[in-house]
Amino acid sequence: MGLFAPWFLAGLAALGLPVWIHLLRQHKQTPKFFSSLMFFERRTQSSVKHRRLKHYLLLCLRLAVLFLLALLFANPFIERTAPAASSRKLVLIAVDHSFSMRYGEHLEQAKQQAIDIVSKLGSGDRAEVVALGSRVDLLTQPSNDRNALKAAVRSITPSDATSSYAEFARYLRALPRSTHMQVEGHLFSDMQKSSLPSSFSDLRLDDQTSLTLHSVAEPREPNWAVETVSSPPRIYGTRKARIQATVASYGAPAARRYVTLALNGRTVETKPVDIPENGRAQVTFNDIDAPYGFSRGEVRIDGNDLLSDDDRFYFSMERTDPARALFIHDARQTPEYFRSALEAASDAAFALDVVPVAQAAGVSLSRYAFVVASGIGPGLGALENSLTSYVRKGGGLFVALGPASLAAGRVPVTGDRVSESRYAAPEGDRYRNVAQTDRSYPPLAQTGPLEAVKFYQTLRVDTGDARVAARLNDGSPLLYEKRVGEGRVVVLTSTLDNISNDFPLHASFVPFVEGIARYLEGGEARSNVATVGSYIELRTAKDQAVAAEVIGPDGQRALDLKQAASAPIYQVDRAGFYDVRPANGRRQLVAVNIDRRESDLTQIPEETLALWRGGSLRPNPSPAAGNHGPELYPLWKYLLIALFAVSVAESVVANRFTLASREAPPPATRSELPVEAEREKATVGGVR
Amino acid sequence: MVLQRFLNPSVLAEISGLELVAKTVVDGFIAGLHKSPDFGFSQEFAEYRMYTPGDDLRHVDWNVYGRTDRIYLKRFRGETNTLLTLLLDASASMAFTSHQITKLDYARYLTASLAYLAHQQRDAGGLIVFDDDIRNYIRPSSRQGQLHRILHAIEHAEPGARTDFAKPFIHFQQFLFRRGIVVVVSDFYEQPKKVMETIEPLRFRGNEVVLFHVLDPEEVRPKLKGPALLVDMETEDAMEVSPDYVNHEYREKIDQHIEGLRDESNKAGVDYFLVTTDRPLDAALREYLTVRQGRM
Repeated sequence: MGLFAPWFLAGLAALGLPVWIHLLRQHKQTPKFFSSLMFFERRTQSSVKHRRLKHYLLLCLRLAVLFLLALLFANPFIERTAPAASSRKLVLIAVDHSFSMRYGEHLEQAKQQAIDIVSKLGSGDRAEVVALGSRVDLLTQPSNDRNALKAAVRSITPSDATSSYAEFARYLRALPRSTHMQVEGHLFSDMQKSSLPSSFSDLRLDDQTSLTLHSVAEPREPNWAVETVSSPPRIYGTRKARIQATVASYGAPAARRYVTLALNGRTVETKPVDIPENGRAQVTFNDIDAPYGFSRGEVRIDGNDLLSDDDRFYFSMERTDPARALFIHDARQTPEYFRSALEAASDAAFALDVVPVAQAAGVSLSRYAFVVASGIGPGLGALENSLTSYVRKGGGLFVALGPASLAAGRVPVTGDRVSESRYAAPEGDRYRNVAQTDRSYPPLAQTGPLEAVKFYQTLRVDTGDARVAARLNDGSPLLYEKRVGEGRVVVLTSTLDNISNDFPLHASFVPFVEGIARYLEGGEARSNVATVGSYIELRTAKDQAVAAEVIGPDGQRALDLKQAASAPIYQVDRAGFYDVRPANGRRQLVAVNIDRRESDLTQIPEETLALWRGGSLRPNPSPAAGNHGPELYPLWKYLLIALFAVSVAESVVANRFTLASREAPPPATRSELPVEAEREKATVGGVR
Repeated sequence: MVLQRFLNPSVLAEISGLELVAKTVVDGFIAGLHKSPDFGFSQEFAEYRMYTPGDDLRHVDWNVYGRTDRIYLKRFRGETNTLLTLLLDASASMAFTSHQITKLDYARYLTASLAYLAHQQRDAGGLIVFDDDIRNYIRPSSRQGQLHRILHAIEHAEPGARTDFAKPFIHFQQFLFRRGIVVVVSDFYEQPKKVMETIEPLRFRGNEVVLFHVLDPEEVRPKLKGPALLVDMETEDAMEVSPDYVNHEYREKIDQHIEGLRDESNKAGVDYFLVTTDRPLDAALREYLTVRQGRM
């Protein structure tokens, strides 16, 4: 016997209360006046004993009530042998319908074997059919209708999901508890090694469960697959793309295969590739041109094998014009370093417009992906209003502070106070370095080491609650970000030339500028490739009121109205192209591929299967075993009944005791005697 | 008789004035004449007897002396009044009750009715209220206003201390210098022999003594459902008693006590009458008149 919540036994301290009431507190009995005790004798023993007996009975009942109450909250249980579930058996028929079961006739074989098992069921046996993928799909309720069970098995179709034996084992463990029956499991699968969980303990079985594994795969089954495709998600202007594919061999001998690249259904190029045995080979397609907009690409291995669906790999590309950026600079600041760095970036995604600060007031900022303000000083007037409005609506602003900023005394748009300008001579060692860098900050994630950069002049700014991404060795902030409205402002407390620092001369400058540009443009989080079972983000918390849309590979809408209005994510369950229009309006073409773990048909070693079948190290399934382990059986129901009964008994005894105490109450004092009252009413001679 | 219903104590309890109570009781019963037990000074001739030294010379029949030279006293059977002395026990135990009226209330009605009856018959009435001492004394008289004085004293009789017959009886024997009827109304919570030892001297003086033993029905046949803590109303001693004792041994003892009083009264020539407070008052009045008849 044990307790689920033993700390509630502290409530037993309340047992002292009735003890105090009954034993320590003196019993007071209401006296009854009688004219004379002349004929009475002091024979009180029997009555006192009688009353004490009543007291003790009441005390015991009250103690029992409190004890049962405390015990009820502590929730005791006993260990007992599980009820005789052995007399009832549930046969669980699980058919693996993951992607790998498309190999040859695997799925059909599995279904046929499952139907054979259904045919052999005993007359009293009940069975349940499930389909196993990344989760367990229940196809029937426990039933002894063989026709319904067979129909359920026949209805199983192949999916693009991965199989998870851990999910199957978890379901198998839960089933005896929910049905109170002994479960006999039959799994029809190709026994892929890649479907095993990382921890074998996730496959454990209960004693009330037996498992029979039916493998439909041959010991060695060759397969080739396009493992990955590396392609730029976007190409800008007139640039051409370079696409690289990796082709893998699983259990197949070395062979020459032909790999074809197709864009929008049109074959672009075919190349031969020699794939080593159980190895990988790469194929590169250079100078691939693509039309404007989204393109649906596919790399495939010509000549089908028995698992043909993994011989192709989908990818998407988008050709678009470079995003425009605006560089506003003070007369003393040059835009050349920034422009050069931006153009030197790998895919040249941005076109930079340079405008002196004096001419920037009339420029429409809304057509720029982001704006750079380099060394601008006081007297901005309408320009600062335009910048503030642009940022508040979601735009990105990169501010590099120069000597003119000190004259303004504050940072444009954010209004942070510039307290001082700190100089250091370029000669000698009188400069400052970057001492602290936050690599989790996206613009700095791809930037190289900044410690070698020398800063001769920086401005000290009171950043307030801003996020500081980099600090100098004197503790002053070098790079920080502050959000204004829907947009963000990134501030560098030095200039973008080689006067105040030598940053533009370092190799880390180009990735820094590219990172800043990507970050402020807001395109860093977009991905065009996913695997089956993954999730696509449809909306963020601020996009709740806008509908999203997903067009599936079959051209049909994948979301119902409710999902379109409120679903934050969408799980892709098939391979192909998904045209996604999230709530933020930025259209994506997501290429979804099958998890390539399914392509590896290597089977689980026999000793591992034997260990799994054994469950708790039993040699083989013994469905009729009636020796079940102990079960924790809670006793709260019985305690509740006992508490009710004792409470009723306590009420009855207490009521009788109270009635006896109050029986025929006499006048408590002489002054309350009736004669006194009568005397007060009457007057002399009977006259009131 | 319609008025008989007013003899019920519970009905009388609804009547506020004690005089009205007494009048109701007596009118509801009877009223009658009687003859004086003593030779007096009325006009009805009784006998002659020889003069003996010390006799009052005013009673000498001088006509007989003139004719016979012998001195004779002339005696008459006169219509005289009886002296009625009411002794009312006002001890604390008389305050006990188990229903509408207490024993003291009942004793009040009884003594008031007897006083009223005596007044109607022009008997001289007197009252002594006692507990362990004499609390009030009204000398017997038939003067105007005597009834009101008695009723007033009865009205103001309050439950006092414990009953002690010896002290007040010894004390008020000095007041009883004339023979008459002495009515003692009490619950007699004392040993019968001791009661008689105290009361017998009254009898020796030629008084007719009547004992009205007033008890509550609950005292005769108490009902107790469970153990109870009983407190003596006179001594305030507490005692825990069981229902079993009350239902058996107590009843035997109270019966023995009543029988003891009855026997002792018979031996001493004293009339004893047990009244319970749930019975009508006419029986008590009848008892008085019976005794009064014997005095004629």
